[in-house]
Amino acid sequence: MDKTTIASKSVIAVDIGSTITRSLFFDVVSGKYRFVAVGSAPTTAGVPHFDVTEGIWRSLEELQFITGRKLLSGKDGVIIPSTPDNQGVDIMVATMSVGKPISVVTVGLLDTVSLQNARHLAQTTYADIIAEISLNDRRTSSDRINLLTRKRPELIIITGGTNNGASESLLSILESIGLSSYMLDESQRPHILFTGNEQLQDEVKSGLAKISKLRVAANIQPVLGKENIHPAQKEINEVYKEIRKKQTGGLREVISWTEGTFTSTASAFGRVIRFLSEKYEPEKGVLGVDIGSDATIMAAAFNGEETLRVFPGLGVGSGSGGVIEKNSLDLIKRWMPIELSDQEIQDYIYNKSIYPRSLPLNTEHLEVELAVAKQAIRYAAEQTIPGLPKQLGAGGTLLPYMEPIIGSGRILTLAPKRYHPLSVLLDGLQPTGVTTLALDQNGLLPGLGAVAEANPLLTVQVIESSTFLNLGTIIAPLGIARPGTTILRIRVNREDGRSFTREIKYGSLTILPVDLGEKVSLHLRPLNRFDVGMGGPGKSGKVNAVGGVFGIVIDARGRPLQFSLDQEKNRKRNEVWRKTFNKYE
Amino acid sequence: MISKVKHIHSLTSIKRERVLPVAGHVLVRRMQKVSPTDVIVVAPLAPQFILMNISQGLNVNAARADELLQRQAGEDLVQGDVIAGPVGMFQRVVRAPQAGVVRIAGEGKVLYEITSPDFELQAGMEGTITNIIPERGAIIETKGALIQGVWGNGKITYGVVQPISNDMLQELVVEQLNIGFRGAIITAGFCRKPEVLEAAGIVPIKGLILGSMSSVLIPLAKKMDYPIMVIDGFRETPMNKAAEAILINNKDKNIALNAQELDTNQGNYPEGIISQSSTSEPELPSEAETLKVGKKVIIINGPQAPQIGEIDRIISGKQVLANGVETKLAEIKLANDKSTVLPMTNLEILKD
Repeated sequence: MDKTTIASKSVIAVDIGSTITRSLFFDVVSGKYRFVAVGSAPTTAGVPHFDVTEGIWRSLEELQFITGRKLLSGKDGVIIPSTPDNQGVDIMVATMSVGKPISVVTVGLLDTVSLQNARHLAQTTYADIIAEISLNDRRTSSDRINLLTRKRPELIIITGGTNNGASESLLSILESIGLSSYMLDESQRPHILFTGNEQLQDEVKSGLAKISKLRVAANIQPVLGKENIHPAQKEINEVYKEIRKKQTGGLREVISWTEGTFTSTASAFGRVIRFLSEKYEPEKGVLGVDIGSDATIMAAAFNGEETLRVFPGLGVGSGSGGVIEKNSLDLIKRWMPIELSDQEIQDYIYNKSIYPRSLPLNTEHLEVELAVAKQAIRYAAEQTIPGLPKQLGAGGTLLPYMEPIIGSGRILTLAPKRYHPLSVLLDGLQPTGVTTLALDQNGLLPGLGAVAEANPLLTVQVIESSTFLNLGTIIAPLGIARPGTTILRIRVNREDGRSFTREIKYGSLTILPVDLGEKVSLHLRPLNRFDVGMGGPGKSGKVNAVGGVFGIVIDARGRPLQFSLDQEKNRKRNEVWRKTFNKYE
Repeated sequence: MISKVKHIHSLTSIKRERVLPVAGHVLVRRMQKVSPTDVIVVAPLAPQFILMNISQGLNVNAARADELLQRQAGEDLVQGDVIAGPVGMFQRVVRAPQAGVVRIAGEGKVLYEITSPDFELQAGMEGTITNIIPERGAIIETKGALIQGVWGNGKITYGVVQPISNDMLQELVVEQLNIGFRGAIITAGFCRKPEVLEAAGIVPIKGLILGSMSSVLIPLAKKMDYPIMVIDGFRETPMNKAAEAILINNKDKNIALNAQELDTNQGNYPEGIISQSSTSEPELPSEAETLKVGKKVIIINGPQAPQIGEIDRIISGKQVLANGVETKLAEIKLANDKSTVLPMTNLEILKD
C-alpha cells in the first residue's frame, strides 16, 4: 500500500527518549487531524529490561487508559491496522534518541575544509567524533591503520576533494581505511560513508564495498565553499538506524510495527522544522531547540534549507554532567537567581546525571536544573550559529532573525511556573529583532516529523491546530548604550482602537500586557541607532504581533547578555528578571 | 511504578560476563574454578601494523615487486627475515623490521603486523566458569555479597576489605591513612578533600570504596592509579546502612572491586563482590520491581539520600511539591521511625 495516499487514518508516534518513552495519538476529529492524547513511561532500553518494547508497551497502556481505546492485544502486540469497532491504530511511526553516541572517525583532506564538512555531517546525528584523519595530521599510512584498528569506530565519514578535484591524496587515505577494515573482525568492521569527490565513487566501491558496510552519497562539497550536506545526511540517518537495530533490544519488533517508518529523533525534529520554514515568513528562519535528558538538538531552517546540530551528552538529565564539562560551573551559576554554594550546585548536577529521573525537591535545586538548561542551550546555540546563513540579522555569535522559535523538552513543558520555559529559551538563545517564542507543550515535534513522511497532511493539520503555546512576542533591540538610556519607543495599537506607548530603557526586561491570542499592531521607533530588525540601525517600522502567555516581551538587556565576574551581581540581576516574570505569572 | 533494584545484597547469586571486544584465545574451560587474577582470555587488543612499500624498497614497479615477494599472508617471521627480493646489482632486499606476521601482500605492498604482547583479561572475581563465549571470554558465577555503586574511576582490583572505622559515618581524612592500610581496599563514609585521595595513593592502598564523594574530586579520582567506587552519589553524607553493614561484617575478607564507569545502556555498574561459600542456593537478584507498600527502598537523590526506609503509603494521583513540580509521591517510614514524603522517582528498591 502506498502510505502517502493514506488519509483519515489514526496514527501513533512513539518517541523513545533516553529517559522517557512517549506515545502520541493522532486521529481525525471533525474532519481534521488532531493530536488526541499522550501516554508515557520510563524508557527500557538499558538496565534492567534491555528491550525498548517494554517501555513502549507501558506508554501505550497509559494511552489506552486515557483514550479508552483498545490499542494492545495480549497475543499480537499493538493492534495494527485499526478494526471497524475502533480498536488499534492504522499507522505507527517511531523516533529514537536513547543509546550511546555512535563512535565516528572523520576523514578529509584539509582540516579547515573537508574535515569541517565531515564534522557538520557527524553533528546531524547522535555521534561522538573519536578521531580525525587528514592530510595535515602528518600521520603515515601505518599510523592511520593503527589508529583505526585500535579505535574501532562504528562509522567512518570520508569527505574531501571537490568534483574533478584532488584524488591521489584521498586514495592514499582510502587505502589505509580499507586495510584497517580488512584487519578487523567482520562483526566489528565500521560503516563507511563516502561523500567526497564523485569521480572516485567507482574506485571507492571497488576498494571498500566488499570489506565494509559502504554507503556513497553525493559530494558534500562539490565546489569549493558550497556545502551540500543533505544527501549525506539521509545516509547517515540510515547508518544510525542500522547501528541502533543491532544494539537495541526490541527495536526490530518496533520497526516491524512501523513498517520501517523509524528514524532518529533528531532527524525527525529537523524535518518538521524544515516543514515549518516553508509555512512561516520566508524571509526569516524557523528555529527549533529540543533539550532532552541526554542531548540537545538545534534545528534551523530557511526556506526549506535545514541546519541540524545534535549535541549528545549535553542535557538536563544524564547529560547534565556534560554541561559542566563542556562549559564550567561559573557559566551555569551565572544564570542562578538563588544563592547556593558551588559545591552544592555541582554535586546536584552530577547526582542528576547518575539519577536522571529523580526530581528536585526544593526551589534551589529546581533553579539549578533551569540554569543547566539555559547553559546547555547557550552552548548549543553558540556552536550552531556560525553555520547559519549570515545575511539575515545580527551575525557574529548572535542568532539571525527567526520566526518563530519553538522550544521542546520536558524541562520546559513540565516546569512548574509558566515563565520558566520563556526564561530558559530567552536567556539560552538570546534572539534578536522581533520574533515569537513558542512551546511544543505536548512534545509533538519529533512525532510530527516522523509522520510527515507517511502522512504530510496530518503534520500540516496538527500544526495549524494551535498545537504550540505562544509564550510571547519578543522584541530584542540590538545596539550599545549606557544602562538606563532610552533606546526604544513602542506604541501598541489594539484592534478596538485603544493604544498605549512605552519607553524602553537599555538593560531592562519589560512585559507589555497583551492578552494571549490578542492581535495588536506595534509601532517600533528605535533610538540611539538601535536595530529592531526593521531594515537597519535606527530604522522605525510597524509590525503585527499576537500576544502570548506573557503578552509582548521587550528584552533590552543587550546582545549578547553581559555578565559580571562578580557572581553576586549576576545573582541579583537574575533575581530582578525573575521578579519581572513572576509579577506577570 | 517500576523501579530499578539497587543491588546491595549480603548473599546472592552473581553471574558476570567477562569478554574482550576482539577475538582472542579463551584459556578457561567450563566448570573450572577461577580466582580473580586468573586469565580468562588473551588477545592483541592494540595490534601494531606497518604498511611496507615493497616496490619503493626494491625500486621496482608494483607488478615486479609482487614477483619478488618471498612471503605470503599468514607467514610468521623473525626480525631480519627477507620479505622480498633480492633484486638488482646490489641484491637489494626488504626485511622484517621486527618479529611479526605478514597479513596482506600484493600490489607492491605488504601489511605487516608486529608481534605485540597480548592483553590478558583476568576473571576479576572468584567463581566458577559456567559458560564459554567462543573467542571472546566466559561467564563466571559465584555466591556472595554484592555492593553496586553509581560511579567508578574505571579501574579494577582484588584485595582485603579494611573499613577505616567501625562505621561509615565519617569523612575520610589524611590522618586515618596509616601504613596499616597498605595494600588494602579501604572503605569510608565520604571524602571531600583532594589531599586524601593523593595520600591514599602514597600509602599505597589497593582500592577505595566510599559512600559518597564531593563531585569536585571527580577529575582527580579518575587520575588515581587505584580503583575508586562511590556507592551512593556526590555529596558529603555517610554510606547507606545496608552497604555499611556488609562491608563491616566482611572485614578482612577478599573483595573483587570493579570500579568500571557507569553505563546504564549496557547495564554496567561499578561493583564490589565478596565471594562466600554457602550451602544455600540464592536466586539471581531481580533487576526491577514495582514500588508498593511494604517495599524497602533507598532514597537516591535529595537531602535525605541515602537513607533507607519502607514504603508506608503511596499517595494517589499527582501531587505538587513545594517548588511547584508535579509528581507521584510515596510516604516512607525511615529507620529512625520518622516519616518523609518523596517523589517515587527519587527511590530505588533495596533487597538486602
